[in-house]
Amino acid sequence: MEIDIQTWAKVAAYTGAGIAMGCGAVGAAIGEGYTAAQANFAISRNPEASGDIFKSMLVGQAIAESASIFALVIAMILLFSNFSGATTIAISTFLAAGLCMGLGAIGSGVGSGFPAGAACVGMARQPAMSGRLTTNMLIGSAVCQTPAIFALVTSFILLFTNFSDRPLSPTWAAIIGAGLASGLGAVGSGLGGGLVAETSCEGSARHPDTAPASTNLMLLGQAVTQTTAIYGLLISFILMFKQFPASDSLAPAMALLSAGLCMGIGAIGPGIGEGFTARSAVQYISRNPRAVAELTRTMLVGQAVAESTGIYALVISLVLIFVI
Amino acid sequence: MENLGSVHQLIVPLFGHNMVFNLEVIVMTWLVIFFLLFFGYLAARRKARLPEPIQATGELFISQLYSLTEDALGEDLAKRYSPMICGLFMFLLLSNWFGIFPLFEEPTKDLNTPLSLGLMGFFIAHYLGVKTKGIKKYTKAYFEPIFIMMPLNLIGELAKVVSISFRLFGNIMGGAIIILVVSHLTYSILFPPVLNAFFGLFVGTIQAFVFTMLTVVYISVQVK
Repeated sequence: MEIDIQTWAKVAAYTGAGIAMGCGAVGAAIGEGYTAAQANFAISRNPEASGDIFKSMLVGQAIAESASIFALVIAMILLFSNFSGATTIAISTFLAAGLCMGLGAIGSGVGSGFPAGAACVGMARQPAMSGRLTTNMLIGSAVCQTPAIFALVTSFILLFTNFSDRPLSPTWAAIIGAGLASGLGAVGSGLGGGLVAETSCEGSARHPDTAPASTNLMLLGQAVTQTTAIYGLLISFILMFKQFPASDSLAPAMALLSAGLCMGIGAIGPGIGEGFTARSAVQYISRNPRAVAELTRTMLVGQAVAESTGIYALVISLVLIFVI
Repeated sequence: MENLGSVHQLIVPLFGHNMVFNLEVIVMTWLVIFFLLFFGYLAARRKARLPEPIQATGELFISQLYSLTEDALGEDLAKRYSPMICGLFMFLLLSNWFGIFPLFEEPTKDLNTPLSLGLMGFFIAHYLGVKTKGIKKYTKAYFEPIFIMMPLNLIGELAKVVSISFRLFGNIMGGAIIILVVSHLTYSILFPPVLNAFFGLFVGTIQAFVFTMLTVVYISVQVK
């Protein structure tokens, strides 16, 4: 049986849609479940505040779900694309777009469940702070979505850029590598950003006076935590927009594929690790507000050291792309 | 959907190289600057002890960003650099909000805008680093903990520019794409106002603040 290119493109698009929505559902579901669990705990602790807690649980879950909704959008676009003019390169773009968005939604989904859960518990502890806690939770969760948004940008560029004039042989690998770099790179940072926002909500409830300082440090910590996801985005952009010379040998193609893999996997660890660092810094601001300056400095230095492994991955990826 | 990512460009050949101008970005940037100047004129027009709402808004921006800068840099540097930080924040805020008006686009949606602002922060930070610590101590910081780490420290320093600018660009670009695509898929029913409020106003504000705060922190890391 002879299978033509259009059929292969359909196979790739349907597989990509499956991966996008399947993986994309994992993270948000875990995050939302965690939020609901914390809300139950909070209501049992302070039943009078149950109205506020219930509302904040629903809002938090809605934000946690947005990563999953991005995956849904990509899956729908993949399912209803126009396959009539599909070229061979389209096979890998469909697959890469699905992979990128699916993997990219995991971290942000799990991560943004944490601040919502902590906000619910905080409302039980300190019902007067519920407005401030909701704001803090919304800001924290919105920043958590950033890595998923990076994955979405990469997926869209993959889907709507015309790659058909590029040589097939190394380009297919570059495209898959681009998807993997952004997708895998978003996992750690999404999760880490959630950890930071969790303690910020907890600390604001514990010591309301420190809430502004805690929000500021949370934003700073989350921003630095996302750095490795941004390296993933950078590698994706280079892989998508650099013109690679045609070659029949498999080696250059594999170098590009592994450049994406290297940056993607290498970004997971620093993302989570930097999240732990910032999490503690934010947590202890509410315990000892006078140490803000020292905590900020220690957090930045600690994160810079934790990030050095991500920079090694970036260097190796750049060597794989430009030197080999 | 088809014009996603298309840019109107003016290409001027100059000594064998092409100079490319992204027209929309330039026009939108000038519009943002014009609106900010107009806001400044209105805020300072009738200065009164009992301020009118617009003067109070201007004072709010200035006092909040001054205290942010003072916390990180100390009083001497804050007096000199807080106007720049305040200007940076207000420019980014209005830029990120610009997309919610019909026919307008965010200047920050184009990578060139965040990248140039990031480079500005980078150069200011390193200029101040050399000025306050002296060239010897400044250079020595790159050779720590051991001198082999020099290339990696250098890349880490350059990666800061990449990370600060791509963060803003990715968020604003992603928001714009989501608004465009979801509006297209739902025939612009019900969803666009909600999406504009979230990605335009809310995420735009947060990202403008994050960019400003990171610029301040990068400066303070060099100074201390």
